[in-house]
Amino acid sequence: MLLQIIVNGILLGGFYALIGLGFSLVWGVTNIINLSHGAFALLGAYITYFMFQAFHIDPFLTLPFSFIILFIFGYLLQWYVMNYVVKAQIFMLLILTYGIEIFLVNFMTTFFSADFRSVTPTYAGSSLEIGNVIIPYIKLGVFSLCLIITITISFVLEKTWVGKAIRATSLDLEAAMMVGISPKNIYAITFAMGVGLAGLAGSLLSLTQAFSPSIASGLTLRAFIVAILGGLGRIEGAFLGGLILGIIETVSSYYIGESYKNAIAFGLMVFMLIVKPSGLLGRKYYAEVKH
Amino acid sequence: MISKKLLLFIGFIVILIVLPFLVSGYWLRVLTQTFLFAAIATGSNIIIGFTGYPAFGNIAFFGVGAYVTGVLMTNYSFSFFTTLPIASLFGILIATLLGIPILRLKGHYFAIATVGVMETIKEIVDNMTEITGGGLGLTLPIMQGEPEYIYKFFYYIMLLSLLFSLLIVYIISKIKQGFALRAIRVDEDAASVMGIHTSLYKTFAWAISAGLVAITGGIYAYWISYIDPTTVFGGTYPVKMFAMILLGGSTSVIGPMVGAFILEIISELVWSKFIEIHGMVLGLLIVFIILFLPKGIFETFKGGFSIKRLINNLKENKL
Repeated sequence: MLLQIIVNGILLGGFYALIGLGFSLVWGVTNIINLSHGAFALLGAYITYFMFQAFHIDPFLTLPFSFIILFIFGYLLQWYVMNYVVKAQIFMLLILTYGIEIFLVNFMTTFFSADFRSVTPTYAGSSLEIGNVIIPYIKLGVFSLCLIITITISFVLEKTWVGKAIRATSLDLEAAMMVGISPKNIYAITFAMGVGLAGLAGSLLSLTQAFSPSIASGLTLRAFIVAILGGLGRIEGAFLGGLILGIIETVSSYYIGESYKNAIAFGLMVFMLIVKPSGLLGRKYYAEVKH
Repeated sequence: MISKKLLLFIGFIVILIVLPFLVSGYWLRVLTQTFLFAAIATGSNIIIGFTGYPAFGNIAFFGVGAYVTGVLMTNYSFSFFTTLPIASLFGILIATLLGIPILRLKGHYFAIATVGVMETIKEIVDNMTEITGGGLGLTLPIMQGEPEYIYKFFYYIMLLSLLFSLLIVYIISKIKQGFALRAIRVDEDAASVMGIHTSLYKTFAWAISAGLVAITGGIYAYWISYIDPTTVFGGTYPVKMFAMILLGGSTSVIGPMVGAFILEIISELVWSKFIEIHGMVLGLLIVFIILFLPKGIFETFKGGFSIKRLINNLKENKL
């Protein structure tokens, strides 16, 4: 039984890792705590839902659409709105992104209704059995995709010019500007990547559970905890944080009670902030307070 | 100049005192709600504006106050007025205990830690079903008397709570300890070198702030007579509070109150006309305030209204 619970936790953790990844990246590089992250994820979920309902496109094939649409949306948002506030006092960005969240959630509630929706392709019920452990194919697929996306993003940041520029900007903004990197552009790309990743996470979420606009803030808070646990701006950190959160949530809901899982997750986050604010894998220069 | 300001303020308060005899019950409710927000914003401004620590989750103490009053009145049949000081004490106690570890954090980290505290307290209240009623909420004893009298009672109590908060904040802005808080906002390291015991002062600021917000929460609980964890912990309260503080200006005593009046009245006018898109308008309004009025209306329009200043504000923090 314990094995099954831990496997469930790991499968859930893969999703948490993906939702935390974009959040952590944006925070680590641009110093924006994007409180609208959960709302962006839901936009991705709705893209998958509507494409599946209207055109019967396989949910997994809708992922590129959801990434590209949200990437463009994120780029424009950073370029035309966020860039005007980036250098202001820290809490301005918190309130700004929260304002965007309120707007988006109410927009979705008004136009897409507050009903809980879910995407159920024909293969939704089937699952893999290894001994006593049952792994639904969909959850396995979602987990593998989360892993692949994390590795891809890690590769992009390590090997490509844009990735190196993003890391340089995150480590030292002024030095990056001196070698000819345009921070405005890099910020916009980073934010767009973060929003795009949120969209991907949302699309995958629609496959594993029912969603409605009301769960946006819950998703944001999960992303938050993952980013704090793992260490900001660190890809491996987000993955580790996601797995830890997933396992702790499933194990504690089984042994202590479903209703306490949020309290435990938040308590863990506050504890982590007090003991080691830079996160498990946090290093010097990563996500120090820049203002 | 100061006496003119004071006269204006006294005039304003006198109008508010006389108003219940002139307007309908609906407007009394709207104004009571406005006082509620004004009191929260004023109280929270001690830690947010004066000390410069963005306590995003300060609403936690509003919830704590509401639940202390609620539980004491429902389960232990305390009278309403005795619960308020107890609610305040609870707020102060929690803020002091949490302040010692959490106020070491700076900037974003502090803001997030307060959100974490808010959510954790919410979950705990949600799970203490025997005492708090959990997710079902708590129904308080309803006040006896004519509706007309009840409306006026809560109007004046809430106004009193607002004036009390303003008085405390005014005193803090004048005493030595208040200057210490401002020194911390401007440069914490320098303040520390000057001999200010920064963690002590920060904890003091947060505790006072929590105590004031908790009183407001207690009054809210009796006024609405039904509370549940989702409404009193969070919702749109934190962001509304921040928008009010910014709109009015975070460094002045009456700024947050003015912000609360403007935002609540706008919100009420919008709400009554377009109930469907109210949330969207609130979101856009907040984005607008952050982009164009981050310093507050007083600071921006010191020498009269002009569009040019709005544009200047927009360009100031551009990357």
